[in-house]
Amino acid sequence: MKLALPRPPLVLAPVAGSRHFGHALLLLMCGITWLFAHWAVAKPLALWRWIDILSESLVVAMLGLWLVQLRTSRPGGRVTTWLCLGLAGMLLGGWADLMDEFWKLPRDYALLLGMESSLHLAGMVGLTWGLHLWRQEQLALNALRGGRERGYREHDQIDRLTQLGDGAYLLDQLRWQQRRGEPATVVMLGWADLPALSRQQGLAETDRLLQATGPVLLLQLRPGDLLCRYAADRFVALLPRADRALPDDLLAALQAHVHPCADGQTRARLQARMVQAPLDPVLDAESQLLRLVEQLR
Amino acid sequence: MSEALALLRRSLPAGVATHFGADTAFIPWAYQGALLAEFAHSRGLAAQEWLAPLGITAGQLLTPRQLLTMLAALQTHARDVGFVLGQLSLPGHFGLASQALQQAGDLRQALQVLCAYAARLSPLLTPRLLETEEELLLIWTEACGAPAPLQPLLVDMQMSAVIAMAQWLGGRPLRCRLSFNRTRPRELSQHAAYLGTDLQFGCQVDAMRLPLAEALRPWPAAQRPAAMARNALAQGADPQALWRGQLAVLYDHLVSQLGEPATLEGSARRFQVSPATLKRQLAQLGTHYQAQLDQVRAHAALYLMSLQGQRGEAVARSLGFHDKSNFRRSFRRWTGMTPGML
Repeated sequence: MKLALPRPPLVLAPVAGSRHFGHALLLLMCGITWLFAHWAVAKPLALWRWIDILSESLVVAMLGLWLVQLRTSRPGGRVTTWLCLGLAGMLLGGWADLMDEFWKLPRDYALLLGMESSLHLAGMVGLTWGLHLWRQEQLALNALRGGRERGYREHDQIDRLTQLGDGAYLLDQLRWQQRRGEPATVVMLGWADLPALSRQQGLAETDRLLQATGPVLLLQLRPGDLLCRYAADRFVALLPRADRALPDDLLAALQAHVHPCADGQTRARLQARMVQAPLDPVLDAESQLLRLVEQLR
Repeated sequence: MSEALALLRRSLPAGVATHFGADTAFIPWAYQGALLAEFAHSRGLAAQEWLAPLGITAGQLLTPRQLLTMLAALQTHARDVGFVLGQLSLPGHFGLASQALQQAGDLRQALQVLCAYAARLSPLLTPRLLETEEELLLIWTEACGAPAPLQPLLVDMQMSAVIAMAQWLGGRPLRCRLSFNRTRPRELSQHAAYLGTDLQFGCQVDAMRLPLAEALRPWPAAQRPAAMARNALAQGADPQALWRGQLAVLYDHLVSQLGEPATLEGSARRFQVSPATLKRQLAQLGTHYQAQLDQVRAHAALYLMSLQGQRGEAVARSLGFHDKSNFRRSFRRWTGMTPGML
C-alpha cells in the first residue's frame, strides 16, 4: 500500500536582513550574461569545449545547491549572511567562468577579464570569514550541550523531546568508554507510574515532566559526565570515576522534584527509582543496559 | 481434520464478518483520530501544521489509509510515536468495546474482547488469540494492509498497548515473550523500556506468548462484575465493531480452508466478487493472493510444529500436502528454514 505524504515547505533564511537575496543573485547572473553578450564576441559552436561547459555548469549548480541548503538549515544572522555572501561570490565567479565558454572577450577589456577571478577570490574571503564566525558560534552552542554529549555528535541520536542523547547514542558512548578501559558507573533512573500520569493528566503533562527531568539531573552532573534519555521514562547517567554518593544524590534530586501540572492545581509527586552498576569492561554494553532495565521494572 | 487444526479454527470469528478496505471510512475521529491528535498536541504540533497538509480535518470520519497517513506524518516528528500512543490506546475510549475491556475480569477475557471487536480497538492490525493448555498466544496479522515501513510501528504500538493495558487494569507488569517478524534493530532501548526484555527478532510471526495462569489471574475489576457492555456488544449494539479488514477476512477464510486445495476463485466467492476484482483489490492493499496463502500456511505449520509438537509428516498431511518432500520445499520457500531447524 502506498501513502502520499506532503513534503514540508522550504523556508529560506534572510541574508543581510533581506528575503530577496536569491532574486538579487539571479539578477546579477543575468547582468554578467548581458556584459558578455554586449561586449564580447560569440564563439562559434565548433570552438565550444563541452567538457569544460559540463564541469563549469556542475560547479555553478553545486554552489547553488549549497546556498539553498545553507539558507534552509540555518536561522538568519551574521554567520549565515557571510557564508551566503561568500558562496554567492564563488557562484558568480563560476557563472562568469561558464559564460567565458560561449563568448570570447577582446584583450583590451581588462576589467571584464579580471571579473571571474576577482569574484571568486572575494567569495572565498567572505566564506572564510563566515567560517571563522561560525566556529565562534559553534563554541558558544557547544557549551549548551555540556552533559548531553561527550566529544561526539550524531544528530540522528538526539531525542527530540528532552534534547538528550537517545539509547543509540548511549550505547556508542558506553562502548567507547569500555574501549578506553576507564572505570565508570552506569546509573539508570526512572519514574514509577508515568503511564498512570499520562492517563490521568494527558500526554502533554508526561512530556513536560520528562522535559523537566533532564535539567534536574544535569544540575547534579560533573564535567565529563553524560546523561542520556534511554527510552520512555528511563534516563541513564554515565559517570566516569564516580564516588559512591553521586548516584544517590541523583536519586535524591529526582525524589525532591515536584511537578506542577498545567491545570494549576495538581502538584504531582511521583516516585523515582534508581539502579546502578559499575560498567563491565568486557561484557556487551547492550546486555548490561538490558539487565538494568530488567532490575528497574 | 486434525485436533490441532480444529483448535486453530476455534480462534476464527463466528459468522460472516463484513469487511473493510483501506478506503472505507468508518473510524470516528473521536476514537483513534482523537488519540493521534492528543499526541500531536503534546508535541506542540498545531492542526494546521500536520493535519492540513494531509487534507484531513479534525472531526471527520477516517479511513484506515488516512489513519496510517496521520501515523506516518507523526512518525517524522517523533520516532517513539508507536510506543507512546500504544501505552494510551487500550482500554481506550472507543465506545462499548472499550467499556467491555474495562469490565473484563482477567487478561484472557480482555484479549477475547480485543480480538472480537478489533475494528474498534485495533483497526489497523488484527489480533488473533490461540490457546493451548498452558499458554496464550496473541498473533498480530494485517487488517487491510500497511506500507512496509509502517508495519513495525503498528506492531510495536499494539504490543505496547496490550502490555500497558494489562499493567493498568491488572495492577502489575505483564511478563510475556515477544517475537517479531523483522530483523533485530540496531539497538533495543525503546523495545526494552516499553515492552520488556524478553524479545526475539527474526521470527516468522509478530506474536506475544504468555502463560495461561498469568492470563487467568483475576483483575481488580472482577470484584465488581459488570456485563453491560459485553452483553450489549453481543446483541449487536455496535455492528461496526464486528467488521474485519479485508486481509483479515481473507486470512480467516484461508485458515478455514486449510487442508483443502485453496483457489483464488474460492476466495473471490467469499467476497462475492470476480477473481480479477479480488486480485486488483489485493494489489491495492500492497499484496497478492499467493503471498497471503503462503503466510497462512506458514503460520499454521509453525503453530502445529512448535506449539503442538507435531512432526513434519503429520503437518504436511494436515495442510493437504501429499508428500513430505513437497511440504519441505514449500516450507523453505515460506520461511527460509527447513522444518527440521525448528
